[in-house]
Amino acid sequence: SSCQLSSVPLQILLCAHGIYYAFYFAATLAIIVYKSQAFSYPDGFLVADVVLLLLMAALEVLRLQLGSRGNLTEEEAPLGLSLAATAGSGALSVYFLGWQTYVLRADVILNALLLVAYGLESVLKVMAIAALV
Amino acid sequence: VAKLCVCDLLVAQCDVNCCCDPDCTADDFSLFTTCSVPIVTGDSRLCSQKAAVYSLDVEANPPERIFKLIDQTNPSLFCIHATNYEEALSFRSPEMPTSENFDRLLKEFGGPAFSAEPDNWNTNLDAENPSDANETYGYEYGVPIQTVDAFLRLPSPVVSSWCSDANPAAFLVNQATKCTRSVRVEKCDNIRALSMLFYTNCSILAVPRSSQVVNISIQSITVQSLNGTRTLLNGSNVLRLPMLLDELCINVVLGVSYHVTHTDAGEIIEAAAAFVLGAIKKEALSIQQSFEISFTQVNTEPVPLSGNPGYVVGLPVRAGFRPQGYPLPVDIDTSGIIQNTNKHSQFTILQSTASQDCLAAQGARTPILFGYNMISGCKLRIPAAMKCQPLTQTLLDLLKGQSFPEYVASFGNSQSQDVLDWVPITHLHISEQRVSLLFQSSCQIPVSLELEVKWTKYGSLVNPQARIVNVTATLTSTAWKRVSSGRERMIPVMSSVVFTDVSAPAEPGYKAWPTINIKLPHDFFFPFV
Repeated sequence: SSCQLSSVPLQILLCAHGIYYAFYFAATLAIIVYKSQAFSYPDGFLVADVVLLLLMAALEVLRLQLGSRGNLTEEEAPLGLSLAATAGSGALSVYFLGWQTYVLRADVILNALLLVAYGLESVLKVMAIAALV
Repeated sequence: VAKLCVCDLLVAQCDVNCCCDPDCTADDFSLFTTCSVPIVTGDSRLCSQKAAVYSLDVEANPPERIFKLIDQTNPSLFCIHATNYEEALSFRSPEMPTSENFDRLLKEFGGPAFSAEPDNWNTNLDAENPSDANETYGYEYGVPIQTVDAFLRLPSPVVSSWCSDANPAAFLVNQATKCTRSVRVEKCDNIRALSMLFYTNCSILAVPRSSQVVNISIQSITVQSLNGTRTLLNGSNVLRLPMLLDELCINVVLGVSYHVTHTDAGEIIEAAAAFVLGAIKKEALSIQQSFEISFTQVNTEPVPLSGNPGYVVGLPVRAGFRPQGYPLPVDIDTSGIIQNTNKHSQFTILQSTASQDCLAAQGARTPILFGYNMISGCKLRIPAAMKCQPLTQTLLDLLKGQSFPEYVASFGNSQSQDVLDWVPITHLHISEQRVSLLFQSSCQIPVSLELEVKWTKYGSLVNPQARIVNVTATLTSTAWKRVSSGRERMIPVMSSVVFTDVSAPAEPGYKAWPTINIKLPHDFFFPFV
């Protein structure tokens, strides 16, 4: 297994992350809809939050694709780009954790889990890049 | 939270059973029985918040108040952990005027009226379309009457008594307003609001947002002279514009009365305006104008309604007669109900006067208004040798009036041709017999008339309409002993009207369960069938 430089834990984590992110996206969108009905949510703030969520989804898809490809084809460039995208997604997740218009307990839980996953993935990616270089 | 106290109403005094009142001492607390406000919290949707808990420890002797400041957590998953929006859970404090924003605030809030969307009603006629898309046929009650460029204006006083031309006339809302307009005689032919043209040159849309227009025709012109006498001009109704004549300005509009005819579908088919023109002196700085608008449905007589359809509290009860000679139910379709044109004289009771003398009032009667229980009475002075029959007749006239109706309208808008919509008045006669007078041939004189109107709530739960179901007139008679001489006597006469609500408890109606209609095509079991 010394010939195989792809990291199995990273791949498992990427796969699981993809599934978790789908759930996260649906849940956050539903919670935003709930907030817009239950609380006073001006249109400007609502549009900003929804746009950031969609941006995060796009970035996430890109990140998972790049990370998976980089890991399986054992190339550093996609892995590096994926790491950069992780930083972006992490920043957006921190926004949703603390700087949204309304932060509910459910938001806190979802984003905390997401940040933990990002942290783990970043560590594994750094290790994978180190192994490839 | 520890400083908030909802039950602290009296200043510098202890409120009873108010455990959070800072004016209460320990002695006061020992006299309380419970705490009316046990807990004061912030918004309960927050995940964690401070709460002040007040309770009385009744076991201690004397009872004392316990105050605890605790942290309350909301166990729900959807509690608000944090907000980044200042006005999220509370009202916004208004802006304090400073030297920078003063001009802007003055422009926005300085007028006599302001709204959240200042130019909404003039320019955004299209914006209302999506919600009214299914109501393009006809006006509804209260909708402003639209003209080609804006709305039909009925100038009225806003805030002060000066005329404001921005008041739209609403459909089916009969209005009469009086307001003051400032004038200067040198330019009196230039002031638009004083000329007839201003009030007749707008074309009303027959149906909202359509292209069909109805022009306002001039119905009549009345000229008012300087000392107030009015003469109706018999000539053709042409436009008379204001002009200066010596020191006066003539043909100035002093009053406009619009009459709008509409169909029952809410379409306006005709509009006419009757003007009162007058002359004003050079010194006049302001004149008073009066405006009126009334609506009539086409092919009906404008009978004033007391509600549509249910009776409105405070409006007179409508009543009338069936013409004589139609007693058989066979003829029920051909005859109608005849009503007095004065809506306040259709159903009346005796009116009490200050002198309490029945005959001095000369038949003053007060209309019976729906929902208002009334009682009235007077004292009748009877001369010594009064005979029974004339006395009975006088009392009956007093109690019932000259034209006591036979039928009462069950709805505020019952039409006279729908006889079944009218409730007949039931008459009851009670005579008070007193045992001691049995041996005398008793003359029964009516002394009291009690009208009981039973009404019920009719229609939907959300908007119940009042409907009269029963009217009972109870005439109470008492025995009258006639004496041939002696001084005159006084008897009290009383009449009352009571409105009783006999509504059955409401039953909500639900839509029928949807049924599933499944039918198999006839060749479903091909080729077996």
